[in-house]
Amino acid sequence: MTDANMKLEIIKMSFESLLANKTRTFLSMLGIIIGVSTVIAVFAVGQGAQKAVDDQFQGLSADSIIVFSLRGKIESSKLKTTDSKVIIENCPHISKATAVIQSTMAVSFESESGSFNVMGIENNYFEMSNVNIDEGRLITGEDVENNERVAVLGSEVIETLFLEEDEIIGQNIKINGKTIEVVGIVEETGRSMGKNSLDNAIFLPNTIAEKSILGSNAFVMIFTVADDVENIEIASEEIVAALREEHRLKDSQADDFKIMDAGAMVGAAQDAAKLMSLLLTAIAAITLLVSGIGIMNVMFVTVAERTKEIGISKAIGGKQGDILGQFLLESVILSMIGGVIGILIGNGVIYIVNGTSLTELIKLSPSFTGIIVGFGFSVLVGVFFGFYPALKASRLDPVDALRSE
Amino acid sequence: MEKLAIQLKNVHKSYYLSNDEEVPVLNGVDLDIEKGEFVALMGESGGGKTTLLNIIGCLHPLTSGEYFLDGENIGEVRDDYTLAFIRNKKMGFVFQQFNLFSRFTALKNIALPALYSGETKNTREQRATKLMKSVNIEDRANYKPTELSGGQQQRVSICRSLINDPDIILADEPTGALDSGSGIEIMKIFTDLKKRNKTIIMVTHTAEVAKYADRIIYLRDGKVVDNNYKLTSNY
Repeated sequence: MTDANMKLEIIKMSFESLLANKTRTFLSMLGIIIGVSTVIAVFAVGQGAQKAVDDQFQGLSADSIIVFSLRGKIESSKLKTTDSKVIIENCPHISKATAVIQSTMAVSFESESGSFNVMGIENNYFEMSNVNIDEGRLITGEDVENNERVAVLGSEVIETLFLEEDEIIGQNIKINGKTIEVVGIVEETGRSMGKNSLDNAIFLPNTIAEKSILGSNAFVMIFTVADDVENIEIASEEIVAALREEHRLKDSQADDFKIMDAGAMVGAAQDAAKLMSLLLTAIAAITLLVSGIGIMNVMFVTVAERTKEIGISKAIGGKQGDILGQFLLESVILSMIGGVIGILIGNGVIYIVNGTSLTELIKLSPSFTGIIVGFGFSVLVGVFFGFYPALKASRLDPVDALRSE
Repeated sequence: MEKLAIQLKNVHKSYYLSNDEEVPVLNGVDLDIEKGEFVALMGESGGGKTTLLNIIGCLHPLTSGEYFLDGENIGEVRDDYTLAFIRNKKMGFVFQQFNLFSRFTALKNIALPALYSGETKNTREQRATKLMKSVNIEDRANYKPTELSGGQQQRVSICRSLINDPDIILADEPTGALDSGSGIEIMKIFTDLKKRNKTIIMVTHTAEVAKYADRIIYLRDGKVVDNNYKLTSNY
């Protein structure tokens, strides 16, 4: 096998023999195709999840600590918007705190309506979460103090409720039947808070929101910032102590709120993404293993079928290496083509999934590394599982092989 | 220059059954074949003719004894690379059942040994075409074996045995699967090859075929019983 010409000829021969058995070739490729598309999906999910985590926590600095109502136990949860003041007053290592009360509600303007993320906020919310005004004004301290019925809208809300030519500032929208005046529009952020997009949000003073709009069913969050990243742990302990005292909890009672720092939140989200990737990786590995065994099986059948040919090859001067190379090449070509098809299908699936409503759950992100790894594995499977049958073929006794029919 | 193409001295060959029982096939064969000689191997079936041919063709290792090819003792060579080289360059095999690759055209079948020896496509095809012309099958170059008659297939297989211009042609019942007309054609080709100074060793059991040879070697029970058997002799 010194000559490039010869290699080319042997590759041609491999293709010919694979084409001679199209159905079998395709069936043995199927496993590889599924395995490699799974690998592509694994990387797309992994990268997509990582991106989702990044987006979700973008703007959340490492010194953030968030306190929120216990989900499912909102009524028994005593976290109130006023607790932000409790935290500021009693926790020396907390430099800033702002309370948000949030719920999803139906909002309408004239005949248009939609379901939005309604957020009751304190005036320092915008500064703390880095949300900027685009038009009009932000919610002020006076708005909060005086229970003003004013709202600042996110960009998606505008798109849904208003026409392009509409003058928006000064209009009245209705939330839960209450009339509210629009005083400002914030810039598009592309961010979200948990599952709720900030661009899909309507911001109100938290006083009016809590009292007459959102009611007792709303979800309360208090965003706080520690004075130093180093002090996150102490600051968290201070918050727990202050809130337990404020809520008059006995030692035997559990916290009636939940507290997380930025590191823990990002970590938890990443852990979930990693778990999903791990699960898919396991599926991909099993599929590739099974497909490899399938290829090995098919190669054994092929070797058995061509035993006589192997005998002839040896009689006319074929070396063990030539025969080994020939069969190995066949299995590698088989798995490589399967790999390429798998890559195409995997990316096709990503494209299709991203066109459906599943993107609300996760947006898949095609990964170049995934393609390289998928292709690499397909070649590896071909070499690994094709080697033993090829070796057996190359070691056949020429006279025995010639005698077989 | 070495006069002998092949010399065997006290060659034994045994097969071993799965229960380790030894089955001797050749029991001390002594054989001298000169260069350019056309030799027929005859004998009863089970006498060891084909085994002997396979040993000469380096398809079988011998159990004991010496095998000189062109004066060189290769009886103990077990290295696949060397043996494959000998089969590829020094010898050409012609089989009773032709043993062509049914997937390949006649041309490709003929060219295959030259592919193993690393010749370029041009050289391979030129040589193959020339050989096909010499046996009048050049118009069948792109036919597959199943589209050819038995005689044509055997001519393809002779061309294949000659592609690397070996000194020795080994033929195992080359006319065994052919009608008598085609058989005579094949034997004429062999006679021509002998004129071109090829050494030919042919296994046969029919006198009509054996008569084309210069000399007949008769085997029985794994031994050479006559080094110059005459068809009129009676054993």
